Amino acid sequence: MIILIEKVLSPFNRVEGDLDVKLRFEGKKVVDVKIISGLFRGIESILINKKPMDALVITPRVCGICGASHLYAAAKALDMIYDAEVPQNGWIIRNILGISEICQNDVRHTYLYFLIDFVNKKYSRFPFYQDIKDRWGPFSGNSYRKCIVWSKRYTEIYAILGGQWPHGSAIVPGGVTTDPYPNDLVKIKGILKNVIREFIEPVILGGPLDQFLSTVKSVKDLDQWSEDYPSGDISKLWNYGKEIGLEKLGYGSEYLMSYGHFRIDDNKFYFSPGIYSILNKNKYSIDHNNIKEFVARSFYVYEKGENMGLHPFEGETNPIDPEEAKERGKYTFTKTARYILNGKVVAPEVGALAMLVNSDDKLALSLVENLGPTTLVRVISRLVRFLKLNEILLNEIDRFEFGKPTFKRYNERRDGYGYGLVEAARGALGHWIVIKGGIIRNYQIVTPTQINMGPEDPYGNLSATQKAIIGTEVEDVNNPVEVSHIIRSYDACLVCTVH
Amino acid sequence: MVKTLLWLQGGACGGNTLSLLNANDPDLLEFLEDYNIKILWHPSLSLESDGDVVAILDNVISERVKLDILVFEGTVVLGPKGTGRFNLFMGKPMKDWLKSIANKADYVIAIGDCASFGGVPASDPNPTESTGLQFHKKSKGGFLGGEFRSKKGLPVINISGCPAHPSWFLSTLALIAEDKLTEDMLDEYNRPKFIYSTTTQFGCPRNIYFAYKVSVKEFGHREGCLYFELGCKGSYTHSPCNLILWNNQSSKTRVGTPCFGCTEFDFPTFNFFITEKNRSGIPKNLPIGVSIGTYVMLASVARAAAPRFLLKPLVSKKEEKSDYID
Repeated sequence: MIILIEKVLSPFNRVEGDLDVKLRFEGKKVVDVKIISGLFRGIESILINKKPMDALVITPRVCGICGASHLYAAAKALDMIYDAEVPQNGWIIRNILGISEICQNDVRHTYLYFLIDFVNKKYSRFPFYQDIKDRWGPFSGNSYRKCIVWSKRYTEIYAILGGQWPHGSAIVPGGVTTDPYPNDLVKIKGILKNVIREFIEPVILGGPLDQFLSTVKSVKDLDQWSEDYPSGDISKLWNYGKEIGLEKLGYGSEYLMSYGHFRIDDNKFYFSPGIYSILNKNKYSIDHNNIKEFVARSFYVYEKGENMGLHPFEGETNPIDPEEAKERGKYTFTKTARYILNGKVVAPEVGALAMLVNSDDKLALSLVENLGPTTLVRVISRLVRFLKLNEILLNEIDRFEFGKPTFKRYNERRDGYGYGLVEAARGALGHWIVIKGGIIRNYQIVTPTQINMGPEDPYGNLSATQKAIIGTEVEDVNNPVEVSHIIRSYDACLVCTVH
Repeated sequence: MVKTLLWLQGGACGGNTLSLLNANDPDLLEFLEDYNIKILWHPSLSLESDGDVVAILDNVISERVKLDILVFEGTVVLGPKGTGRFNLFMGKPMKDWLKSIANKADYVIAIGDCASFGGVPASDPNPTESTGLQFHKKSKGGFLGGEFRSKKGLPVINISGCPAHPSWFLSTLALIAEDKLTEDMLDEYNRPKFIYSTTTQFGCPRNIYFAYKVSVKEFGHREGCLYFELGCKGSYTHSPCNLILWNNQSSKTRVGTPCFGCTEFDFPTFNFFITEKNRSGIPKNLPIGVSIGTYVMLASVARAAAPRFLLKPLVSKKEEKSDYID
């Protein structure tokens, strides 16, 4: 006889915001999962009937860890509505702001949220347990403490150009508010070089950054790196991760989607847009018209119809009391976000791995090809993205041309539709704004965690994280750390998601 | 003596936690060690999940574990219709947890504008029925009521700001750790006076432009004051943002972004980036303590006396007209 057990992990912490996870086991195998967020914040409703520029102050407050990405998305949507031209320096500073925020996130997520699960009691019998405690133990581990010391330096870079982090508002339609002098750029570069010398190379990599970026292009190269430079955390993560089976754990969606981000010039981005199919190794182009939000399982109602998928320009935010919603099979404040690929509803994964794969990053492609979109692949990819972003930051600093403007005037328009697509730390983020008579009439935000972790859609498609969890065999139903690894590997941000 | 600290989040973005991680000299970990503070639980930092958290909160509620300091981040969510079910924490409205824990703590700190006054979520139309711990916007009361006192006899200590600067929070916490914070050190909004007695304008590098009424009309420039056209609230917002710099480096006004008044009870006031004026062109919100009469008189004299170099770009740049200074 198969024993069915239900277990609710509540609260599931060390994610941004509140999260509950409801698991159903058959024996030790997960057969169903519901990812539940129990908070509604109402930011979209607050923006209605406000002035368009107010979005630049309100939307960064959607999220304490990725507010600059919201700001960037809002400003891009307004650029579109006002037909604002952004000078090259404006784009460069926007990029430095967006990238420094992601760097801050990637380091903090890895050390403060993800790696801590390695000190779970399940691993106490492994020979590496003491090393893990010494390195990654919360509050006391060597690398943990270095993360506290060094991650904030990216926020310093941000503040030099953006005033403060979190919640600066220096990105505006037409460019940025800031007017940096050469000494500011020298300081930013100085901070960055210091982080690379004192933290990235000795702690994360155990070896030189440029060597990693220029030589590690495949799973085999990564094996070689961890042999040559075994002391770096990336080598330890790779080796210990494989010892505990993270490379096979949590195979998620076959589709990896990225909006592309960080503009170089009119037709070039550091990260390219696309939706990549792992099964047929094909990359498709993406179009914002194919994004739809559903609420069939969420604590909201649609006036246009319960099972409808609404494009964000038509989107609605009508929350209802969770008590009455439960009877209708609804269980979370997260809306479901889906992409319609060639007429088919798909639930892609977004985030670091998707950004790299759609940009033809050789290492990420090799990881996915050999291991699939699994827990270890996502976490290694996040570190790889972080390493690449440091290189891009250095490049952007050098591209800035003092003496040229960072902002260009534009003509405000009273009516229009605009959207801004960016890549936040957790992946594809979009803002859609409708203005009429100089006032916001609709404001819809679709966040990466909605795409990764929203509830099932009316067609029965599970989100990437649900797919990754179902079928997982845990060792101890009362300590399902395997599920924790999977969820945290997606870097969940629930505050964004319930905006 | 070790003091215990419990951190809970209501209707929050997590920004105050992330801001706290930016603390420097001492950083968060050093501070906890130096001041003997033990974190019982924090939603994004602690190892404990699930049942262990239930046990920690139960121990506090039943007073098996003494709670010295409760820190609350985010609004208290009362919606829908007063039920609090827009913010469920471990299956129960967060407001109910807060109610049973707040009176067990020696000190209660509201960190950020949301917990202090309701902040962004409580702004019109307040779709989540959010409020602050002891204030709702300007009025005393909030969720815990105007008469609330923590066990040490203090009202909720508000460290407002969106987010609060780590140094504002930690320096207050340092006083609390040594039981040195007294009620007379708080202002009328229960904020520590040593932090909130100056305005954002103190230390702003654009002060010289303000003094001579030289305005900047567009973004992207070091020159000119942001008060006259671009909606800067720095002259009537209580904060030390230009004295205790953000991330050790800068502030909004230093990078040409206007102050939005995020340390005040009425944040967000909306209509940002624009200076609202009356029919004669006088800003509706004048610097604290300045009357219309004095403002008009001072403005005309000051403008006439403005040194000529302030009316031109400090460094002339290619591809740039200089008509942005007025």
